[in-house]
Amino acid sequence: MPRATKGVLIQADASIKAILVKIDSEQHNAFIIEDLDDETLVVKEGKLAELQQRLKDKLKDTIKEAEDSGSD
Amino acid sequence: MSVSTSQALEYLQGLPGMTQAKLYTQPSAALAIFRRMLPHLAKTIVMAMLYMPKPFPATDLDLWLRPDARRYATMHRDLAMSVLESLHIITTAQEKQGPKAYSLSKDFAKSLKNALTGGGNHSSFGVPINDHDRQEVSIAFLDDYARTQWETILYYMVGSAGTAIAGNHSISSGTKTLLSIGGFVEMKLNRTVITQTGFTFLLQEVNAQVWSLLIVYLENAPTLNMDEVDVLSFLFMLGSLELGQAYSTANLTATQQHMLDDLNDFGIIYRKNVQSSRFYPTRLATTLTSDAGALMSESSSFQNALRSGSESKGYIIIETNYRLYAYTTSLLQIAVLNLFTRLSTRFPNLVSGKLTKESIQRAISYGITSDQIISYLTTHAHPQMQKTVPILPPTVVDQIRLWQIEGDRMRATPGFLMQGFDLNAYTDVSNYAEALGVLVWKSDAKRSFFVSKIDQISAYIKGSQKGKKGE
Repeated sequence: MPRATKGVLIQADASIKAILVKIDSEQHNAFIIEDLDDETLVVKEGKLAELQQRLKDKLKDTIKEAEDSGSD
Repeated sequence: MSVSTSQALEYLQGLPGMTQAKLYTQPSAALAIFRRMLPHLAKTIVMAMLYMPKPFPATDLDLWLRPDARRYATMHRDLAMSVLESLHIITTAQEKQGPKAYSLSKDFAKSLKNALTGGGNHSSFGVPINDHDRQEVSIAFLDDYARTQWETILYYMVGSAGTAIAGNHSISSGTKTLLSIGGFVEMKLNRTVITQTGFTFLLQEVNAQVWSLLIVYLENAPTLNMDEVDVLSFLFMLGSLELGQAYSTANLTATQQHMLDDLNDFGIIYRKNVQSSRFYPTRLATTLTSDAGALMSESSSFQNALRSGSESKGYIIIETNYRLYAYTTSLLQIAVLNLFTRLSTRFPNLVSGKLTKESIQRAISYGITSDQIISYLTTHAHPQMQKTVPILPPTVVDQIRLWQIEGDRMRATPGFLMQGFDLNAYTDVSNYAEALGVLVWKSDAKRSFFVSKIDQISAYIKGSQKGKKGE
């Protein structure tokens, strides 16, 4: 019997997806509904904004921004 | 179908059947919906059914589809029928044992016939006043009035509230409340700050903007003791009026009389004063249900732009080194550019600045997308730039996109995950979803797929299950 689950499909690089899975496990599986493959996940709709914010915070620590010359 | 009318269509589809039925008693509403909101095939079906005395059997409709294009045609028919059914224009009449048949809503059919043949005694298309007005109101004046009113609203949204542009045109408190109810702006520390929805709104085409605002207006009509049907049918009536012609206010309902004030504020209609017994629709009104460009959308109505002077022609020049020069004196345009550009200098007729990673990413954090920025720059490109193909330097376009991708590393699509199919059903349903264009992701190994919209899919699954049981 077919069934439908409401959610948000997340498509990202494998590396980013790995970080998302890590965030989820740290937060007691609060986000992910279904782990589909290396680059795809389904997460809860209401939690998307929070997940994006957490990802941003994580990336801030790991990736250094290239310096902008900023000359006019 | 343009973006703006699909917005209105979505709103209509969400209305309860009773409200829709009341609306259809107005010939102007029936005509506007028929003309502007229905998909082409739906129009054909409605036209064919209009003068049918009896319900139309579903099997006959199937005969109209060419067998060699069945799959494609079925999809379009399903789409057309689902729109018509959700609008309650067509109802399915199924007698016991009898075959499935469709019939057209009586009110809708009657109104549409009246609208097409000019029959019936109604004032649904407005009552024109033909006697000479003491002060002639010209089309140029109406255009100017509409533009000033609308730009004032936009300028207010960009966040420079308090300093009114060019004299004493200020927007009423009612409009301000409406903008904040619609979530276009919010109050922070006594200052008006534009929201993400507001940005999206700002970069839309004028016609789409008008509809967005009017839909917020409609949604709030009941709280203001206004009848939704009255409001809607008045809007559809406005869409069918003629620019530059005066219309009488005498035959309007109380709700509609009240609306005149608000619409006057938006610049959709013009009245000399509150007591005036006549009103003039502006171009914003007459283009509500038509494809013609509303007055400020430079790209779609070039003639209009020519008439209304240099202001609304393209004014932006971008060089390959990301420098941007904008020949404009309009505070609104400068404010919009300031959303995603680092402006550095302002001259009497020119502002200059630069697109930087920082400025673009700031805009993206507000909720503006790179595509919106690119399309804004393209439509407002200076005539000199429009001579070249492509209009914008490719390096700049690519870089704007790259800056956006850098910001968001994951793509999110809300929708539904479909699982638990057997092999045949999986192939069948996922192909159907792909043909509809709602398939986002699928995995053959897991026999599951993800769709962005589910209504038609679930109907399709139900249909195919019924078919199986019948066998």
